[in-house]
Amino acid sequence: MENKYNLKSPAVKRLMKEAAELRDPTEHYHAQPLEDNLFEWHFSVRGPPDSDFDGGVYHGRIVLPPEYPMKPPSIILLTPNGRFEVGKKICLSISGHHPETWQPSWSIRTALIAIIGFMPTKGEGAIGSLDYTPEERRALAKKSQDFCCETCGCSMRSALLALTPNSHPSAEDHQAKELAQQINFKTESSSSRQASESGEGEATASTSTLTQGDASTSAGQEAADWPQAEQQPEAPAATGVEASQPHAAPGTGRPLSPRQRRTQQQDQQARRDSREPASRPGGAFAAAARQPQEESHAGSAVLIVVLTLALAALIFRRIYLAQEYKFDYEL
Amino acid sequence: MAEEKQESSQKEMEGVNCLAYDEAIIAQQDRIQQEIANSNPLVSDRQDLSVLQREYADDDTVYQLKIKDLHKKYSYIRKTRPDGNCFYRAFGFAHLESHLDDSKELQKFKAVASKSKLDLVNEGFTEFTIEDFHNTFMDLIELCEKQPSLQELLSSFNDQNVSDYVVVYLRLLTSGFLQREHCFFQHFIEGGRSVKEFCQQEVEPMSKESDHIHIIALAQALNVSILVEYMDRGEGGTVNHHVFPEGGDPRIFLLYRPGHYDILYK
Repeated sequence: MENKYNLKSPAVKRLMKEAAELRDPTEHYHAQPLEDNLFEWHFSVRGPPDSDFDGGVYHGRIVLPPEYPMKPPSIILLTPNGRFEVGKKICLSISGHHPETWQPSWSIRTALIAIIGFMPTKGEGAIGSLDYTPEERRALAKKSQDFCCETCGCSMRSALLALTPNSHPSAEDHQAKELAQQINFKTESSSSRQASESGEGEATASTSTLTQGDASTSAGQEAADWPQAEQQPEAPAATGVEASQPHAAPGTGRPLSPRQRRTQQQDQQARRDSREPASRPGGAFAAAARQPQEESHAGSAVLIVVLTLALAALIFRRIYLAQEYKFDYEL
Repeated sequence: MAEEKQESSQKEMEGVNCLAYDEAIIAQQDRIQQEIANSNPLVSDRQDLSVLQREYADDDTVYQLKIKDLHKKYSYIRKTRPDGNCFYRAFGFAHLESHLDDSKELQKFKAVASKSKLDLVNEGFTEFTIEDFHNTFMDLIELCEKQPSLQELLSSFNDQNVSDYVVVYLRLLTSGFLQREHCFFQHFIEGGRSVKEFCQQEVEPMSKESDHIHIIALAQALNVSILVEYMDRGEGGTVNHHVFPEGGDPRIFLLYRPGHYDILYK
């Protein structure tokens, strides 16, 4: 590998060092570059103990940009795990999805520890996140040991050092949790700050710097939109506006586990059945009554009522206008 | 109603396509940065201060008055690229430039700089991740020992790899000093963040802009005195200056306009 790369390139120099530093697997993680590409690495991490991922060993790819370490790596998981989507770049503020928070003094090791620390946290609709149930995650953890990577020939059973019986929750585990908390905190605060600061930017003289400010505004807005985008798909499904359509698949924005999908379908089936006899008007209230057990739908029920009233008002207005009733609008 | 529906379907699309969106935004930011890079060198040649006058409209009296005031004290300006790293780059260049013909001071500074890595490692920074940045910084100081032409130093600072590594190291020094003196600096941090969080969010990532607190920390970390002239839309017709740390005898003069730092020369 040595003569294939320009050793003067800062990225090559740094990656060589990191490869040496990470050569030997630890109990918790291991990563090495592919034989023919210093800029693509494969890694294995142990699921954190005291979590649904206990006993699992997960495999994935790290793709490094030519500007590394000035630009962050992208992380892609290959083992089904129930927390991160397989084969998609995952969205940690330490990864390529948030280049604005990456620090050049972080390393691949930092990224591995961040992944471990991030597994037990909530997905909350972030890109590439999954919110499988604990049972499914545990089943996947058990299954993960059978995974063998075709590209790097790594078997999960032997990828990491075996946990010794007396290895109590290690310092690394603690470190992972701490890092995850920091990063988590950062994702929350940075979006709001970005939005508020973006007006100022670097902009003084040139117009191009002004557009930079604009760009960060849109980024900030986009970040702020995520939570809404996550809720939104549920709204149309619950409003019952499309109730006539047999499958108004809820939650298109958020990937569901097979089991969650199944239960949801059953749920919908049941709802449709129960609706048959009482399917006369009053749609909104019926929709609200359909899922009284779910508090999260209270908001959408209110929305439905408001929308229905608005619609009714419009219809009445239309009728009045058609019949040329005179209304004195000036009170 | 129709509007609302449209909006919701748009949101839904965002949910599905947000990966593509994300990448599109990153690509757009890269393009914008490229555009800025093409029109502004990382560190420019020294220019006559009168170039400032042309940047503002003739009837922009606030700025024109202040530029006149600036002319009383300074004759030249050297501009830096507005990429969020301008303070560190301006500081790094101006500081080394001022030591080009003063080998005694340079030796003093070299000693401070070479010891600084150990301080960072003792504070918990990972040695192998920071040593490349430190080495680049030391290489540049060693270049200055050979008393190169100004042009050589300038071309080093315009080599993106070298220049950015120096910026990273100066950011690390700033972060290290803030964390070492966290009891003091905690009082100046807004938003209920700890000093460490502040450093991870506002100091160490590239392109994060600098404020008073960054300047004070870096000036103290390297034991260098910096004077900043502040020029903004405020009334008064004169520029205000500030010396970091207070009471020092500055050899570096920076011009601050909201969001950006350039280098000034007497």
